[in-house]
Amino acid sequence: MTDLTLTAAATLGGFAHDFSGTTLTEITPLAIVAAAIPQGDEKSAHAAIKAAYGGLPTPTETHVSKDGKTRLVQVAPDQIFVVFGSDTNQANSEVNKALKGTCYTTDQTDVWVTLEISGPNARAAMARICQIDLHRDAFPINTAARSTMEHMGAMVIRTGEDQFQLMSASSSAGTFLHAVETSLKNVS
Amino acid sequence: MSQTYRINSGLTDDSQKFNFTFNGKQMQGHAGDTLASALLANGQHLVGRSFKYHRPRGIFSSGSEEPNALVQLRSGAAQEPNTRATVAELFDGLTATSQNHRGSLENDLLAVNDLFSNFLSAGFYYKTFMWPAAFWEKIYEPIIRSAAGLGSLSKLEDPDSYDHGFLHCDVLIIGAGPAGLSAALAAGRAGLRVILADEDFRPGGRLNAETHEVDGMAAADWASAAVNELAAMDNVNLMTRTTVYGAFDHGVYGALERKTDHLLSSDGKPRQVLWRIYSKRAILCAGSTERSIAFANNDRPGVMLAGAVRAYANRWGVAAGKRVTVLTNNDDGWNTARDLQAAGIDLAAVIDTRAETTQGLTGVRTIAGQCVADTAGRKLIKSVTLTGGETVETDCLAIAGGWSPNVHLTCHQRGRPTWNDGIAGFVPGGDLPVGQHVAGAANGTMTLAAALADGRAVANAVAKELGATASRKAAPKAVDEAADITAFWQVSSKKRAWIDLQNDVTTKDVKQSNAEGFRSVEHLKRYTTLGMATDQGKTSNVLGLAVMADASGKSIPETGTTIFRPPYSPVPIGALAGRARGKDFRPTRLTPSHKYAQENGAEFVETGMWMRAQWFTKPGETHWRQSVDREVLATRNSVGICDVTTLGKIDVQGRDAAEFLNKIYANAFAKLPVGKVRYGIMLREDGICYDDGTTARLAENHFVMTTTTANAVVVFRDMEFARQCLYPDMDVHLISVTDGWAQFAVAGQNARKLLQKIVDPSTDISNEGFPFMACGEVTVCGGTPARLFRISFSGELAYEVAVPARYGDSMIRALMNAGEEFDATPYGTEALGVMRIEKGHAAGNELNGQTTAQNLGMGRMVSKKKDSIGSTLSERAAMNTDDGLRLVGFKPVDPSVTLSAGSHFFTKGATPNMDTDQGWMTSVAYSPMLGHSIGLGFLNSGSDRMGEQLLAYDALRGNDCEVEVVSAHFFDPEGKRLRD
Repeated sequence: MTDLTLTAAATLGGFAHDFSGTTLTEITPLAIVAAAIPQGDEKSAHAAIKAAYGGLPTPTETHVSKDGKTRLVQVAPDQIFVVFGSDTNQANSEVNKALKGTCYTTDQTDVWVTLEISGPNARAAMARICQIDLHRDAFPINTAARSTMEHMGAMVIRTGEDQFQLMSASSSAGTFLHAVETSLKNVS
Repeated sequence: MSQTYRINSGLTDDSQKFNFTFNGKQMQGHAGDTLASALLANGQHLVGRSFKYHRPRGIFSSGSEEPNALVQLRSGAAQEPNTRATVAELFDGLTATSQNHRGSLENDLLAVNDLFSNFLSAGFYYKTFMWPAAFWEKIYEPIIRSAAGLGSLSKLEDPDSYDHGFLHCDVLIIGAGPAGLSAALAAGRAGLRVILADEDFRPGGRLNAETHEVDGMAAADWASAAVNELAAMDNVNLMTRTTVYGAFDHGVYGALERKTDHLLSSDGKPRQVLWRIYSKRAILCAGSTERSIAFANNDRPGVMLAGAVRAYANRWGVAAGKRVTVLTNNDDGWNTARDLQAAGIDLAAVIDTRAETTQGLTGVRTIAGQCVADTAGRKLIKSVTLTGGETVETDCLAIAGGWSPNVHLTCHQRGRPTWNDGIAGFVPGGDLPVGQHVAGAANGTMTLAAALADGRAVANAVAKELGATASRKAAPKAVDEAADITAFWQVSSKKRAWIDLQNDVTTKDVKQSNAEGFRSVEHLKRYTTLGMATDQGKTSNVLGLAVMADASGKSIPETGTTIFRPPYSPVPIGALAGRARGKDFRPTRLTPSHKYAQENGAEFVETGMWMRAQWFTKPGETHWRQSVDREVLATRNSVGICDVTTLGKIDVQGRDAAEFLNKIYANAFAKLPVGKVRYGIMLREDGICYDDGTTARLAENHFVMTTTTANAVVVFRDMEFARQCLYPDMDVHLISVTDGWAQFAVAGQNARKLLQKIVDPSTDISNEGFPFMACGEVTVCGGTPARLFRISFSGELAYEVAVPARYGDSMIRALMNAGEEFDATPYGTEALGVMRIEKGHAAGNELNGQTTAQNLGMGRMVSKKKDSIGSTLSERAAMNTDDGLRLVGFKPVDPSVTLSAGSHFFTKGATPNMDTDQGWMTSVAYSPMLGHSIGLGFLNSGSDRMGEQLLAYDALRGNDCEVEVVSAHFFDPEGKRLRD
């Protein structure tokens, strides 16, 4: 029998490139699990989230766990994304366990592609495709926003001084990468 | 030709000489020149031909208001017509050509039009080219189009790229003249986030064109110092070469930044960027535009605006003429005379239409109380004849007809400007766009000190509004120049006196339009073309209104202005499109097996944004049908594999998930057992069927729904609406997982045998252990999590297996490896389509937004025992008649005939028309199993007409054939294969 073991492939093959000092990198592996808060059970769900990760995100501000390994992003009034580096197939059950089954969890890992843009040209490049005001004062570190870029739904999270994580649908990852890459080339 | 009209370097850099050509003639200019200033420096006064009469025309102004000097820049695919020479920044290697002439610029054959001007008055083509009607499009229009108009397109693909972008600020300041710079300094010092946008490459506006002093410095030097201070502020974004062209809702402004138009090559970077600027406040400091006076033949080369003549002398060191005459109705015209005299340019006379003036100039002849009545000279003005009869020889007539505030951006949301007699011009009035303020000349504050103070005061007020602390620094010091004006519009004449130079509209046309009954200023505009096209009446609107007011016996305010709409200055279509060209027009979505499909001969088809394999061409196959037939036969005879990832997948969880699905689907879902899948149909509120698919119950409170590829987003959106608005008390949560899973259909007699090698042995997938419509979370290939569904679109024993998308590429290869012994075949959407038609399954062609569950033969699925979306309205009588459309199958009476989709059905012998129409063919395919063409279609009372023969008439393709009505289930009608 031939070897029928499956191997995981990064959506963009682990893309990484330096555009005159500003880098664009696919963040992989990255686990994303959606946790939906049951109606009427908000208190226990919030308590479980706090216990597991040390806090709750707000609609604009993400929460990073004390160990810096997990970021919580509020994506809807009753939905939170739990984002953490992991290459196991157990992301969903791990989060479910951490939250003691208080939330409805859905694995979103492969739904998204995540790019990190970092460096002095990051804001200028983003201004070509992103409608959100990413000015240092208007968009502090750990802020998140949902928007669209070049007709694609996208999330932007500020993760550093001149650093942003961009999330968009994995099926159109190639187009999304092309959009960000073109922006960087246009301003470099 | 050397720069014989250059008197000094002005603000240009004469150490950088730029070579350029105009109509092939080599010329030289300086860095800092515009094409217009360089042409004038070289004595090139004739630069184009007019729109209608092909009259010789020269440079009229020194800015974006230019109506005359429209030229073509560059060549080949990069050729750009209708560019105003006055705003085209000179660069080394620039090539420019004149436009709108047949033959040379100097000897334009179409100048004959000028002789027939009496026949070419306003509206002439409406009256003249009437008979015969057959000539309208084929003869008249091509002739008129080729004779009139301006430049021409290269008709080649634009080689440049363009970009869009988004900017944010507390305050957007539009215009970097005295008011704008003063406002920007105040706003910047107050710590606001400022964008200062100016269309010029050198900020300063009129400060660069005047000999005034500010804070004890030459005005241009003060402007440079102000720009330096602003450039050092982190909170100020100074954007030159940027035109703000429109004021939109909520403080959003559109701006065009010309990034590389001043360079020989854009070096792969976007040529222009179209910005959307989000502002909390905006201060319009757009200044004002000078206007002309109407008298006979006031359009000759050498007739210019006085402020422009002054600007050419002061900013560019160019004499517009060797012997200049100034004509003015105001004090500002005298500034031109003074500055020209100081620059050593000979002045023939200053003609002031006012009988009395406080102005005067030693050594220059003053003629008061008269105007110019006519001019002479063909390619350059030679002389002017005064109303008193005297003739004055001159090679440049500088006209100062008064300044009109640039109010357009105040009017983009239907604001109407108001008339101000003191300046004889319109000033902003009524409601301004939200958050907009106006300062300086744009607001009717026409003098320097006042404009500087106004800019500062408005910016400080804005700072206060936004909660910032205004800087206490005083306004820049300057003197207010004399600015009295006595309105003077026109000298009556039997000859033509131009108002709108770009569109060749004269006072005669305006009077004629009035005489013919066009009373509204909007009608005047359409009938005469006054103020249309790229020009938008920048220099002509106010003069045109004044002449119309005079003709109709009304005042100017009573006459009113036309509506202003963006863009006021031209924006290239390429810039509006931005990157949205070719494949970048919209995103492309790829399935996880895309690479595998590419490697295996797939022909792709766009389904929405997805690229799907249509079929896989094997070596030797020369026609798509060979590939598709092979794929169908291989699947039906052994096993085929199809990527079905594109189907929408929605994760539904919550205590009320089952009840929620009961509302969404027309058929019952609440009692679907865990571990089972059910097919469901969804209705719109109006009872029409709009989507179908299967939903699997993975746990008590956990379902996974599939939708059609096309409706994935629509269904999700509608469900989210239902969740939030219709059933807000239900505990139900939705999230799309479409992109998260790579899903493959494995279909055919050997499907189970193949999957037994893939699915880990802990799951029993025997017919008993995993029967038709079973589902479950399983592991595959030694522990990889997966989902397995026993569902069948093909009618075969079939499964759909899903793995996390990251394993998708690996999974298709594993499936093909495991299937090698069964000759497993990948199949595409065409084979999928053939097999579903063979089975009579509805798809997009049948669920076309017009058909009901009854029509589809699924009427009984709409449950009467529960309320679901659309169920009530689906019970309307007209949707439930016995003789309504029913989905049935069709086969050609002659098996060699190919059916065509879109055919309509008629009784044999009937005349095909709307009254005799009985239905239509929705889908057709060649069935390799049956060996002939088959079709699905809707037919009145179709299910009761089995065996009947009809005519299928395809009016579009012009063919018809006889068909027999049969069951839609062509193949394996008992459905044995999928249950085995």
